[in-house]
Amino acid sequence: MSTLTQPPRTPAGEHEKTFKPPRYRRPLGIGRDQVVQYGVLAFLAVLVLAPIVPTLYQSVRNRPLYEAGGAFTLSGYTRLFTDAGFGDVALNTLLFAGLTTLLSLAIAIPMAIVVVRTKLPGGRLIALAMQWPFFISSLILGFGWIIMYGPAGFVSIQIQQVFGGVPWNLYSIPGMALTEAVALAPIAYVFCAGALRQSDASLESAAQVCGAGPLRILMQVVVPLLRPPIVYSAILVFSVSLETLSVPLLYGQPVDIDVFSTFLYHNGLQSVDPDYTMLGAASTIILFVTLSLVAVQAKLLKDAARFVSVRGKVTRPRKLDLGWLKWVSIVCIWLYVIAGALIPILGLVLRSFTLIFTPLQSPLKTVTTKNYEIVFGSDNYVQSLWNSLIVAGIGSVTISAIAVLAVMVARRSTFRFGRAVEYLALIPQSLPGIIIGIGFFWAFALAPFGIGSVLQGTVYAVIIAFGMRALPSAFGSIAPAIMQIGGELDNAARVSGADWVMTFFRVLRALVTPAFAGALVLTFVIMLKEYSPAVFLSSADNNILGTTMLSLWTQGRAGSVAALATLQIAITAVFVALAGLLMKGKHHA
Amino acid sequence: MPEVTVKNLAKTFGDNSVLRDVTFTIKDGEFFTLLGASGCGKSTTLNCVAGLEQPTEGSITVGGRPFVDTSAGVFLPPEERNLGMVFQSYALWPHMTIAKNLALPLTIRKVPKEKQKTLIHDALDKVGLTELKNRYPHQLSGGQQQRVALARALVYSPTVLLLDEPLSNLDAKLREQARAWLKRLQEELGITTVYVTHDQEEALALSDRIAVMEGGNMIQIGTPSEIYERPAAPAVAAFVGRCNFLAGRVVGQQGKRYSILLDCSADVVQVDSDEKLPGGDSVTVAIRPERLEVVPQPGTASGTNHLKAHVLTSSYVGSRYEYDVRLGDQVVQVLSGQGGLSGEVSLVFEPAQALLYADEVELPEEQRDLLTVSP
Repeated sequence: MSTLTQPPRTPAGEHEKTFKPPRYRRPLGIGRDQVVQYGVLAFLAVLVLAPIVPTLYQSVRNRPLYEAGGAFTLSGYTRLFTDAGFGDVALNTLLFAGLTTLLSLAIAIPMAIVVVRTKLPGGRLIALAMQWPFFISSLILGFGWIIMYGPAGFVSIQIQQVFGGVPWNLYSIPGMALTEAVALAPIAYVFCAGALRQSDASLESAAQVCGAGPLRILMQVVVPLLRPPIVYSAILVFSVSLETLSVPLLYGQPVDIDVFSTFLYHNGLQSVDPDYTMLGAASTIILFVTLSLVAVQAKLLKDAARFVSVRGKVTRPRKLDLGWLKWVSIVCIWLYVIAGALIPILGLVLRSFTLIFTPLQSPLKTVTTKNYEIVFGSDNYVQSLWNSLIVAGIGSVTISAIAVLAVMVARRSTFRFGRAVEYLALIPQSLPGIIIGIGFFWAFALAPFGIGSVLQGTVYAVIIAFGMRALPSAFGSIAPAIMQIGGELDNAARVSGADWVMTFFRVLRALVTPAFAGALVLTFVIMLKEYSPAVFLSSADNNILGTTMLSLWTQGRAGSVAALATLQIAITAVFVALAGLLMKGKHHA
Repeated sequence: MPEVTVKNLAKTFGDNSVLRDVTFTIKDGEFFTLLGASGCGKSTTLNCVAGLEQPTEGSITVGGRPFVDTSAGVFLPPEERNLGMVFQSYALWPHMTIAKNLALPLTIRKVPKEKQKTLIHDALDKVGLTELKNRYPHQLSGGQQQRVALARALVYSPTVLLLDEPLSNLDAKLREQARAWLKRLQEELGITTVYVTHDQEEALALSDRIAVMEGGNMIQIGTPSEIYERPAAPAVAAFVGRCNFLAGRVVGQQGKRYSILLDCSADVVQVDSDEKLPGGDSVTVAIRPERLEVVPQPGTASGTNHLKAHVLTSSYVGSRYEYDVRLGDQVVQVLSGQGGLSGEVSLVFEPAQALLYADEVELPEEQRDLLTVSP
């Protein structure tokens, strides 16, 4: 017991110990923890404001931002509603988004109730199948739907031959809304199913004891409890469909139906002499709409917490038996999965292996790998494939690291602006992808020290834009994981002599790694699928899969599009499978 | 060696004030306990000493070194205070072995590898766990984790040891053994220790001095026997040990001896007190269950105060008997070695055995209902 024999130290006397308490240098009273924290705040502020501020500025300047000598004007806003017919566009958008929201809720709510709350054969398989939009972008879904259900689609022609006509028109607002609803229903499903799983099952048992039958229980106990998640997911689906580009572009272009995003696309990219002032004005209005939707959403979510009663004690939900109705619901659910997602995707894959894809001639007759040969034979296509992988690869690592930093600052430090960091990291959620693209395009024009000209048209510009768009998802996946690590672990390290920065590197880094890996997979898939911010940032050098597919599609080369789409789905699936295996292996070790 | 001086410490969260003007000094080598119910501010006080929370006002000085002084704008971050701390959850870093857990604070202090080895060995030896140094925290039992946490807090010879309810996660039997062991270790090391607990028995058994806290205020600081024998306020008497409170009025005085007319039974009892209490004042007589003697009626026992009472229930709890007796319209608890009493009895106590408080004691309504009986 060495300590016993040691004489007591005097405050002024020399230390017997060979070590002294740690000292951290703070030049001008600023520690390195503060440098990191303010650095993260400044970086996020620049990243988020970079596309927004130039957009607002452009909307009131009468010349493009990259030209000198502009003056203040409001004519952009007036022109928008007089010449450009923005009123019709707004109406179309409202119709499209409203219809999409209604349809996706009509699909999602009954499905969530039936899957979570009733005895249903294959319920787990359905829950798994609802994850399909994670692998498939709405652009690819749009291609698939047109190939199968479009005016010259495989299924349409088949039906025409049997019945002499097709009872639907895909190239219309209801057609767009249906496709988009199929793609967005899983979002609403996840919210409702989550709420149903958490709600107290004894409420239902109580109703059952009172003599209520399964249907009455569903209608009078279960559905009313679902109101908060329904309202919340309705706003989410609505705001996503306000900004979506893929389906409205693919379906609306042939028949001249414009919504917000396609209006920006046509006026910004396809006109010979783009009216940037008007474009800025339109973007500003759209930004205002989406941001106020988020504000409403945030407020509702806050209030919703008062209604949702989540018990600490988890009760195993008792499942109700619907009787014959259960078979009806099974048929409906599988109809959604098979007709909505499976057939279009299978059609797309088949299309990629054939030259002509029509029921009039057996597709097997023209089975070929020629589409893939074309894709791999062209430097441009191979380049865009590589670009996509580079963007997703570099982007996912960078943005996951930034998200870890942001979560650490926002949730795991005493930084006084921690809240602001969190809001900044989450704002891009409400910025339409195409406006992020336009905004960065203008930001590069304005950027000091020639940064803009270095970035403009390169793959890094795409990484920045996509990364910003993926940041909220990365933050959202990392924050709960980090919050599960007890705060006393940090405190123990701090008291032991590690400052905030060292606490992270010595103690938390290893514990955060699984969350980081999870965010990495998520953002990789998101960035591989992403394309809408790139349409304004692309050049011959930095095309990615999405922009290449879009331009090939307008050239009518469906075979190559199908091949690229199939490749993208395959890459996603392989990546997710590998990541799953790797993480599982780690977990067991 | 360090003396801990805390002056006028206050902490508010918005409008909510969790610490109010807390002042105390801990002597070098002392085992000092902050005792109180949850939410009383004891952990906030400890965290302010550790630097994990910033006080709104006040100063903390350890061994002449200012840690915090809000008026001078001084705040030393926790990593530079050189303190050792054991947390309620132990906070062992789960991905490091025991040896690595202990090595980290030494590595931060740039201690050479060889020296680290002997220091880690010594520290683990002190807590008797040298053979477990290559295990991971989750492979240890709760008691072992607690000892490792203590070893990690001691390995770098901190100036002050802070303990935040370190025994509360252990089961009852183990907690008693750990308590005795901790006491021996602290005496051996002679390290200044601040201990936070809500367990009054733990506080009495371990401490050199105890500070009792309630609602953000420090209501009494004293040695365990002072706290128990001479609680400064009814709240202290109620929190540390058990206590019966009997309301009454002063009806007479002879020197330090007061005559009190009890509200519950209209008996007059004699109680000694140093306080100055004018006649007619409402007062509270506080008396601990074990200071009351219960004798069968008609009593022949000698004693100054005899009260006629009626046994309501008696329970045998192993080492002694617990009686609930009715005194007028109030229930009084008595601990006694004598069993088998029932019916009419006498309660006997000496004037020096009871305490007198000028203020009336407001019991929570639920408790008051349980203690009131219709005669």
